[in-house]
Amino acid sequence: MNNNHLFSSYDKLPSTWDEMYCDSKKFRAQYEGFIEYLKNTSPEKLTKKEDLSKQLFMSQGVTFTVYNDNEGIEKIFPFDIVPRIITAPEWDKIEKGIKQRLKALNLFIKDIYNEQFIIKDGIIPADLIYSCPNFLREMKGVKVPYDVYVHISGVDLIRNNDGEFYVLEDNLRTPSGVSYMLENREISKRLFPGVLPKSHVRSVSNYPNLLYKKLKELSDLPNPNIVLLTPGIYNSAYYEHTTLARLMGIELVEGTDLVVKNHFVYMKTTNGLKQVDIIYRRVDDDYLDPLEFNAKSVLGVAGIMAAYRKGNVNIVNAPGTGIADDKAIYIYVPDMIKYYLNEEPLLKNIDTYQLGKPDELEYVTKNIRDMVIKKTDGSGGYGMLMGHEASDEEIKDYLDNVKKKPANFIAQPILRLSTAPCYINGQLSPRCIDLRPFALAGKDGIDICPGGLTRVALKKGSLVVNSSQGGGSKDTWVLE
Amino acid sequence: MLSRVANNLIWLDRYMERGNGILSLLKVNFYANQDSPELFSWTPIIKNFTTSENDFYTEDAIECIDFMVFNIGNSNSILNIVTKARENARSVQEHISRELWLCINNYYLYLTDKDLPRRLREEDPVQFLEDLRKHHLIYYGTSDVTQERGPSYYFMHVGKFLERVIQISDFTALKLKEIANTSDSLEKSFYWKNLLLSIGGYQLYLKTHKSTFNEEHIIRMVFQDKSFPRSVYYCVNKLNRHINQLIETNELEKNNLEFLLGKLESTIKYTTTESIMEQGLNNYIEGIKEDVRNISANINSVYFSNVN
Repeated sequence: MNNNHLFSSYDKLPSTWDEMYCDSKKFRAQYEGFIEYLKNTSPEKLTKKEDLSKQLFMSQGVTFTVYNDNEGIEKIFPFDIVPRIITAPEWDKIEKGIKQRLKALNLFIKDIYNEQFIIKDGIIPADLIYSCPNFLREMKGVKVPYDVYVHISGVDLIRNNDGEFYVLEDNLRTPSGVSYMLENREISKRLFPGVLPKSHVRSVSNYPNLLYKKLKELSDLPNPNIVLLTPGIYNSAYYEHTTLARLMGIELVEGTDLVVKNHFVYMKTTNGLKQVDIIYRRVDDDYLDPLEFNAKSVLGVAGIMAAYRKGNVNIVNAPGTGIADDKAIYIYVPDMIKYYLNEEPLLKNIDTYQLGKPDELEYVTKNIRDMVIKKTDGSGGYGMLMGHEASDEEIKDYLDNVKKKPANFIAQPILRLSTAPCYINGQLSPRCIDLRPFALAGKDGIDICPGGLTRVALKKGSLVVNSSQGGGSKDTWVLE
Repeated sequence: MLSRVANNLIWLDRYMERGNGILSLLKVNFYANQDSPELFSWTPIIKNFTTSENDFYTEDAIECIDFMVFNIGNSNSILNIVTKARENARSVQEHISRELWLCINNYYLYLTDKDLPRRLREEDPVQFLEDLRKHHLIYYGTSDVTQERGPSYYFMHVGKFLERVIQISDFTALKLKEIANTSDSLEKSFYWKNLLLSIGGYQLYLKTHKSTFNEEHIIRMVFQDKSFPRSVYYCVNKLNRHINQLIETNELEKNNLEFLLGKLESTIKYTTTESIMEQGLNNYIEGIKEDVRNISANINSVYFSNVN
């Protein structure tokens, strides 16, 4: 059977890197095997596979609940069946680049909460640090095990039209999505039996074991009590929390399950209190401890920060890592790499303009149609202005807002996110993608799982891959 | 084990047991109602499973089943019960077998399928109820063959047998009221038969006593039978056993609970049918209900008082 029709309406975006096509006819070598498979599979069969994937996500409970009028509706994170394929040399470069970057970022966090050499040496202005809402004074001078602050990270990369990977943002707080890396792979195994081994795809299933190992190493105890702290069932990443706890065999706890006594953290069990040694928390800094941060928080544990500072419990990631993934600090990461490691950055930053600087604000205002403006402390794709699609009025309103506190905003040229083939309405169509590999840092260095979460902007021509705004995901194959 | 987890495990099985009981009852009443709607109306069933605030009553079988299965305002509708069971299961996934979680998740998805209410209205309602009940049977089987015999299993079983004994005693009390209201011996026998059918003991009764209805035999079977898995004695005995297993595995402190259960078990075991009749069946069952309420409150307090 020949299914060439599948490719007939693949409209490549202008001046954009396509992951599958080198030019208008030739496929990239890493896609050839999978294209062969697609060509030999009828559209009916592919559509059936697409249905099967939806069904599998539902029946495996890979869902999040949207509450509406007290009625919960189970939703799945949209999944595109065509995998995104990355070659071994490409991965090698990504891996080295992320490791270098994380090493520098971790050193930066340590420095900022201790001696602050980087400020004293004039690399980063002090007021930038102190005005950052993610800078935690409570962390000053706190000693953390093995000097690791960022244990778990998910650095977002995009591929520009020059074919190079650029860092979009460093997610160093409580990055999510790793369960989708795992689950997407499980689904691929069922959709395309035999294709994965034939394509020599590297496995990602070791991630939970590796995570457990990194957590366990933080303690000197032979059998530390490790728990995963979740904000609870109403959190959209709750599925991920249950999955990671289950796959690591550790207890999933909520704030109300924990209590602090004499600066030790305990969980409330049927047989009394049991000490907790390591907490992999998926609760943000702000909600972690009502005594020190947001007093209204019911998601955290009163007194946990004091226990942490005394070294009686480990919190992963360390509180205060948000100082290093702030959008205003991002600009300085290449300088940090040079400063701390004396190396040239392997992964590029995207040109970023600080609107707090009058000349940069002026430049951005002049070229606003080619710019995207973001709040420095924003996330999730909210509060952005996309210059090429905004109306004159929207631009004016946004700029008025910027002028009130320009230092809270940055601008970047509108990027050409690379496109990858997606199976949409029975045909392949190019859609913009990014890549979030997951890195784990511990006592013996940094490990990166060969794969990651490829997010897709499912709307045609859209550049926003966030799940809250019409984004989906793909399985990510890293070849051997 | 975390107190919250233990509590969620207990409620997971309580909800699943309750759903199973309600579905059996609906099916039995559907048949009985076709024979004699004046004896087996739908109102007492709705009343038994709703709060005092409920003002919905119907004598239309399909409407009643729809209310008991799908109505969101009815906290004991199967949809609400299974949603709550699923939420409990979801938050204790690392403690229950993967198969058990998938089983309950699939039941939830089956129930929330938009096409299901149409099936109730257009197809055979008995098949509809049996299809739902099948999910409960699969749940019991899955739990039996995949769940390790440890604290999680024991806590789930505590919930299951507690709910079962509450249902049986409530339902028996309900039937006794109806029996007391009639002097017609044929009518009485219909009620007794209905009670046996509702708790799933009719077949065993026929096997043991043939087709003659004798109050004493029925009472002995409902309350004291050692082999019938839905007799009051059987449930209390199981409850007692699982509570003791939890004490042995250090998941539970020795407390009042053990004493209350032991006392109830021997009361049921050693009370003769004659003395039950002497004190009046109504008083006897109210006594059991009171004891079960105390046990239930005691189980809850074990998990909620332990705040600090």
